[in-house]
Amino acid sequence: MKWLQQLFTRRKIFSDLSEEIQQHLDEKTEALMAEGMSREEAVRAAKREFGNVTRMQERGREAWMWPLAESLWADAKFAFRQLYKNLGFALTAILTLALGIGATTAIFSLVNAVLLRPLPFPEQNRLMWLAQQDHSLPGVAPEALSYPDYFDWRAQNRTFSGMASYTGGGVTLESDGETQRLDAQEVSSNFFQVLSAAPMLGRDFRWEDEKPGNRAVMLSYSLWQSHFGSAKDIAGKTIRMDGHSYTVAGVMPKGFQFPMENPGPELWKSIADDAEGKDPATSQRGFDNLEVIGRLKPGITAEQAKSDLSLIAGNLARQYPDNNKQYSSALVEPELQHMTGDTRPALRVLFGAVTLVLLIVCANVSGLLLARGSRRSPEFALRAAIGATPAAILRQLLVESIMLSLCGGVAGVALAYGLVHESVNLMPLDVPRIQDASIDGAVLLFDLGVSLATGLLFGVLPAWRMARSAPAKALREGTRSVMGGRGQNRLQSGLVIAQTAIGLVLLVSSGLLIRSFARIMNVDPGFDPKRVLTARLRVPIDGSRHGQNLQFYQELLARISSLPGVQSTSAGWPAPMSQSSATVSFSIEGRPIAKGDEPSESLGLAMPGYFESMRIPLLAGRTFGPQDGLKGAPVAIVNHAFANKYFPGENPLGKHIQPGIGDDVFEHPLREIVGVIGNIKRKGLTAGEEPQYFLPYAQAMITNPYLVIRSSGDPLLLQSEIRATVHDLDKSVPVYQVVTLEDYISKSTAQPRFQTLLLTGFAAIALVLAAIGLYGLLSYMVVQRTLEIGLRMALGAQRSDVLSMIVRRGVALALIGVGTGLVIAALITRLLSGMLFGIPPTDPVTFAATAVLLLLVGIAASCVPAYRAARMDPMKTLREQ
Amino acid sequence: MPMTISNKNEQRDLFRGALEMMILRSLQREPMHGYALVQHIKQRSNELLQVEEGSLYPALQRMLREGLLKAEWETSATNRRVRTYRITPAGKKHLEREMSSFERMLEGINLVLSPLKS
Repeated sequence: MKWLQQLFTRRKIFSDLSEEIQQHLDEKTEALMAEGMSREEAVRAAKREFGNVTRMQERGREAWMWPLAESLWADAKFAFRQLYKNLGFALTAILTLALGIGATTAIFSLVNAVLLRPLPFPEQNRLMWLAQQDHSLPGVAPEALSYPDYFDWRAQNRTFSGMASYTGGGVTLESDGETQRLDAQEVSSNFFQVLSAAPMLGRDFRWEDEKPGNRAVMLSYSLWQSHFGSAKDIAGKTIRMDGHSYTVAGVMPKGFQFPMENPGPELWKSIADDAEGKDPATSQRGFDNLEVIGRLKPGITAEQAKSDLSLIAGNLARQYPDNNKQYSSALVEPELQHMTGDTRPALRVLFGAVTLVLLIVCANVSGLLLARGSRRSPEFALRAAIGATPAAILRQLLVESIMLSLCGGVAGVALAYGLVHESVNLMPLDVPRIQDASIDGAVLLFDLGVSLATGLLFGVLPAWRMARSAPAKALREGTRSVMGGRGQNRLQSGLVIAQTAIGLVLLVSSGLLIRSFARIMNVDPGFDPKRVLTARLRVPIDGSRHGQNLQFYQELLARISSLPGVQSTSAGWPAPMSQSSATVSFSIEGRPIAKGDEPSESLGLAMPGYFESMRIPLLAGRTFGPQDGLKGAPVAIVNHAFANKYFPGENPLGKHIQPGIGDDVFEHPLREIVGVIGNIKRKGLTAGEEPQYFLPYAQAMITNPYLVIRSSGDPLLLQSEIRATVHDLDKSVPVYQVVTLEDYISKSTAQPRFQTLLLTGFAAIALVLAAIGLYGLLSYMVVQRTLEIGLRMALGAQRSDVLSMIVRRGVALALIGVGTGLVIAALITRLLSGMLFGIPPTDPVTFAATAVLLLLVGIAASCVPAYRAARMDPMKTLREQ
Repeated sequence: MPMTISNKNEQRDLFRGALEMMILRSLQREPMHGYALVQHIKQRSNELLQVEEGSLYPALQRMLREGLLKAEWETSATNRRVRTYRITPAGKKHLEREMSSFERMLEGINLVLSPLKS
């Protein structure tokens, strides 16, 4: 802390020095007077021999200073005064910079939240996502694990200190006769231990909690607060869910969440209920529905773990060929990487785009500084003449530009904060952790770094130019010139061309995304999503109550269809784009196939009237009717893609398939195909044609269907009436996931919409900046060439000549920029190809339209300064100059 | 070599290294204040060295900062308030180092110059 001490004692040091010097002079004077000089003479002689007193004092003080830091401070103070004096210029530059830096910071905060922030668990880099590889499919094809597989992996591996399973599913929480539907996860007993998280209240799950009869539940902090009133004595109590009793093991601390979904689970229950019953899930090796996360032993790599688990998977495939034949190896990937893998390319593109915006901003401000610099050249000539070295001038100019960029950075943070907060609603919810985007320390640091880098980048060119230009020349050139410095014009033109080119690249990119998004929105989903409300119920299904369950739905649908405003109603599963899905294997009658090799396709369930209510077209045969009930013959309906794939050139009607699924009534019957329907986009509008087959709900009661209610008005208005109708019928049945079909579709397009919106925003900024850049350059040129223009007009040039001279220049610059931009765009838009749907990355329409747009903007930006030039009064101009 | 010490300020006068040595050497004999130091150096060099008196002070400040000297206000024999400088142990070490390297430099210069003389 020596320097700190120095800072405080400096004043004393300096006064000592002055006093000492004064004493010296006095002593010398006295000595000289003793030799016989007069006082006056002696004082003068003493000073002469001493040298320059002020200079010596200064140099004495300098010994105590940090020369670089203090002169930078002086530069900064000067720069601030300079900017304050030119407030208009400073504000323009700062706003432009704020736009660029703010947008970059905002995107970085997304990148930071989604990709960079570590998982909120200790030693999170040891957490691995695990799955088995499906070798019947090309490439990397992860498959979930079944309980028996998971148990074997957990017991036999040598590379993990722990391995936990989890699988999502809702539960119905019952209390005081009311029911509430909650998102839940069913997890192995070591789940929290693997994540290194401990409950804040109560105990962790225990080994026994996996055994039948030991149903236990861990509450999330938010559920504990909202539903249990933060009761401290909750642990050990019993709660009712899905008609069973569960013991509350404990409460997880605030902020704990896993998996990182939106919305996150509100509770975690032990796997005891999967271990109960006649044929429990925990013993079905073919029931692959577990996600698995493992914690590596210290010092073990993902590769080592992969070969370890693959060995186990290989053994299981040999041991249980019926279920595991194609799953003979394991997939291991760091959890963080796995979780964010899908969003990485999109975020990379956005970050690239925003960097381009920042580059344009730099070019723009650089141009501003150049133009301003030429006005300031007399100032610098003067400073050079009184001894400022080029290095000192360079340093001072760079300090000025860094001050600008730091101000821009501060304003940028504010802008980024606003952007992130305002756009939370626009953000695609299915991007993990995107909702956590915030301006935190890392983002601030990034902002600071970007500001400094930006300041150097846009400042170095003008500063280097100013510092280099010879002082004498600048003095001469200072106020009067017929033609501005050629070199400087070239530089500024170069900057304008660069802005136009980068702007074109951004515009082309956003154009491609817009067109692609329009294509997505024009896709026929195969059903009519307009004015359809969907909802789910939880009606108990078990072997003895099939009839009751079916009766409940029939009665409910009858009541709903008589509600005013309801056009038609039915129920089916899954609702398209709802993320529910099941893929079930089947065999085709007359085509024998080895067990384990059966084809497998997406399965749906439908009640009579479902296809009609959804307006899914029937292509052949019939849809399900009342005859396909509990007592009816087993039937199925397939879609067009299914028929084409399995019965090419044949009539699928009357053929029989045997799906590997059933309920207690219809175990695995052969089912006759009675109808062919149109293809439905089940996963999303951009998904391909997918084979699908449907069974009547009555003949495969494996899960509760979605109610679909087509309304004549706003379907959401029916919400409360639907709830009331269900309540009237049975008040213990919870209604949940009340969502319109259009909402499902819009959620499935949230990511492309978000990307398109952002990139279009960036392109708009780029367009405006490019136009301002061109406008600024031409205006500057007009001012700079006033004398020349005046002379030309005096010599007989027409106003139109002047006008076209300026516009020609603007258009030439725009043309070069557009040309360069087209070449660059053609080279780099293929980076977007993963985000484009139905549009090639070099779509000529987009390229042409963008080029024309940018040229038109260029012409518009040239017209104003050109018009101003043409209106000049030649005589007045010449006199003034 | 005294002229190549890293501190930027020192490049301003080439004789500073020499000046420093002379100051340290003089103060090693006895503590002195600035004016006495100048007179002492002038006398000892038989007025051969034309020291600009003031240039002593920046040098003294630097050496104070580097801890080679200490300074204290005292009353002189002539009843004058003076700031007396003393050499510190660090200053002594510094002087030794500088002297030996200075001597080596002189030796080197002599070796180079001698053939020409012969």
